[in-house]
Amino acid sequence: MISNIPTEVIDWSILNEIISMDEDDPEFSKMLIRQYIEQVTTTFNDIGNELDTTKDLNKLNSLGHFLKGSSATLGLQRIAWVCERIQNLGKKRSAGLDEGTVKDDQYYLDLIREALKEAKVEFILAKKELHDYYKTDF
Amino acid sequence: MDSQFVGDRGSLDLNEILPSVKEETENIQNEKRLSNAQADKSASAKQQNEFVRKIYSILEGGEYPEIVTWTEAGDSFVVVDTGKFTSQILPNHFKHSNFASFVRQLNKYDFHKVKRTQEERKVWQYGELSWEFKHPLFKRGQEENLDNIKRKIGTQKKPTDRSLVLKNTEGQEYVLDTEASMNLLKKKTVSIDAFNKVKKKVDFLTRDLEDNNKRYSQLNGEFEKLNNKYYTVLESLLTFKTANDTLVNKFNTLCTSIADQGIKLPDMIQFSVNSPQRELELTTSGISNPQSVHNEINLGENSDDPLPIHKANKTPSISDLPNPILENDENINTIDGDLAQGDTILKKGFNVLLVEDDEVSIQLCSKFLIKYGCTVQVVTDGLAAISTLEKYRFDLVLMDIVMPNLDGATATSIIRNFDNETPIIAMTGSIEHQDLITYLQHGMNDILAKPFTRRDLYSMLTRYLKNRVPLSQQVNIPADVVHKQLKPGSSNLESPLILDDMPPLKKSKI
Repeated sequence: MISNIPTEVIDWSILNEIISMDEDDPEFSKMLIRQYIEQVTTTFNDIGNELDTTKDLNKLNSLGHFLKGSSATLGLQRIAWVCERIQNLGKKRSAGLDEGTVKDDQYYLDLIREALKEAKVEFILAKKELHDYYKTDF
Repeated sequence: MDSQFVGDRGSLDLNEILPSVKEETENIQNEKRLSNAQADKSASAKQQNEFVRKIYSILEGGEYPEIVTWTEAGDSFVVVDTGKFTSQILPNHFKHSNFASFVRQLNKYDFHKVKRTQEERKVWQYGELSWEFKHPLFKRGQEENLDNIKRKIGTQKKPTDRSLVLKNTEGQEYVLDTEASMNLLKKKTVSIDAFNKVKKKVDFLTRDLEDNNKRYSQLNGEFEKLNNKYYTVLESLLTFKTANDTLVNKFNTLCTSIADQGIKLPDMIQFSVNSPQRELELTTSGISNPQSVHNEINLGENSDDPLPIHKANKTPSISDLPNPILENDENINTIDGDLAQGDTILKKGFNVLLVEDDEVSIQLCSKFLIKYGCTVQVVTDGLAAISTLEKYRFDLVLMDIVMPNLDGATATSIIRNFDNETPIIAMTGSIEHQDLITYLQHGMNDILAKPFTRRDLYSMLTRYLKNRVPLSQQVNIPADVVHKQLKPGSSNLESPLILDDMPPLKKSKI
């Protein structure tokens, strides 16, 4: 991907739409976010385990894809971006100048480990912003 | 005379050799001097063994009985006191500076020290510190034997068979051990096999490098060509976009003037008439929309491509406008304008199958669908989707692509073997050109790019369900009949379905 990481943690045009559904069901968006946070925690662990044990790039690709999907659904676009990077690295695609030259698995595993750290930072930032909005701890 | 340096196994120990050479030179000079002095004696013998004759005469003269003397048997002699021998006899009669060198000289004439054990020495009549020397021909009173006592012809000096002698210009010989030199050579050489192997490898690598260089420059050339092409395409794309923008502007102006003349426009077009400014914005939204670069890429890649892709657009008209097929349909079906009442087009009660593995997406998508009056059933993988569709009919299927067990595209191609009617919409985050084509080739009807807004979902629902009666309400038509009626149509499911479900009034208008 050529794109840069989005500047805003949350794409509010997407999240606001979800929040608007609270009209019928006051806890809807919060429920969704709680569910998402649970998912992220699990998936981060899964990625970490994969990196430490089987080191299966395909598995990392689908884990990255999975988390990208749910992050993007809630408008958490920076996490989604990092997850897409994990997904691409799992497909042995890196965004840098080395694109096109195939490296050994370890090269991509190392980059995924870096990306995972980045994703965790983004997760903290997203949680903070959600906290500021909802005035609730997730 | 030539001095000779003799090395053992190629190593020359000059410190050891020099004294003995010097000594020998002295001896020979002494012998010469003495031989001159005693010219009356046999010239040949005198020169040969003056050293031995001197010892003999000293012993026979009995000048120093306390220092050196014949043994009782007279077949050997004894140096009783080596200290006095060194201080008194050596300076007067010999040129040897120390006793050791005198002994060495004796050895050279084949005299040998008579060896005794510690015990024997203690009882030896000349004392423990005495040295007894013996030569088979050197005996008391037998002067004639002396002629036969000769210097050993330098076993030391002669190079051994396996030695290599190098003579330099000064006549000096350097002796190197052959074996040592061979070892030295061996160390510095490699076997011919190894050499050939390395040579082959170097040749191979050289050729490989040349090949790669050639290939690299070829690729470089191709890359440049492609780059040029890319820029050309990009340029024409931009030109196209400008032309398109102009066209849209003109179209809007036209709409405005038509509306001004009191002619009622179809709903879809009316919208653009009401807000021409907004319409303009929308056409450029691909570039200015900061939401994601995907949109921009999408627009760039597909603006001249008929693939129906619906990104996160803000109004229904945006998603509808770029699609010529839909535009035509709408024009045909809504030319009257009576039925086109925005959201009210969609009837309640459509049954939608949602195939999705992400819980968050399931929750949200269901919520949206329910909001639009649909009933939703959820399965979480492709296999479950197939078995569900085998048993039940749905008005629409929303299908994720990447799922466990079986992906959405493959599932669709299987479903299409027994169900060619139900619209199946792919929901995917991947908007790569090739992927989109693959989905359509697998029998999916359309693509809803993730993440999508309510509006995106709604336009997709209206596209496939507008004017249709939910299956649950079609109690009079058996499912089989519907199938048969629809099949002869085409892979484009939309028009036959709409015609079929159209109210009589509408039908007659067409």
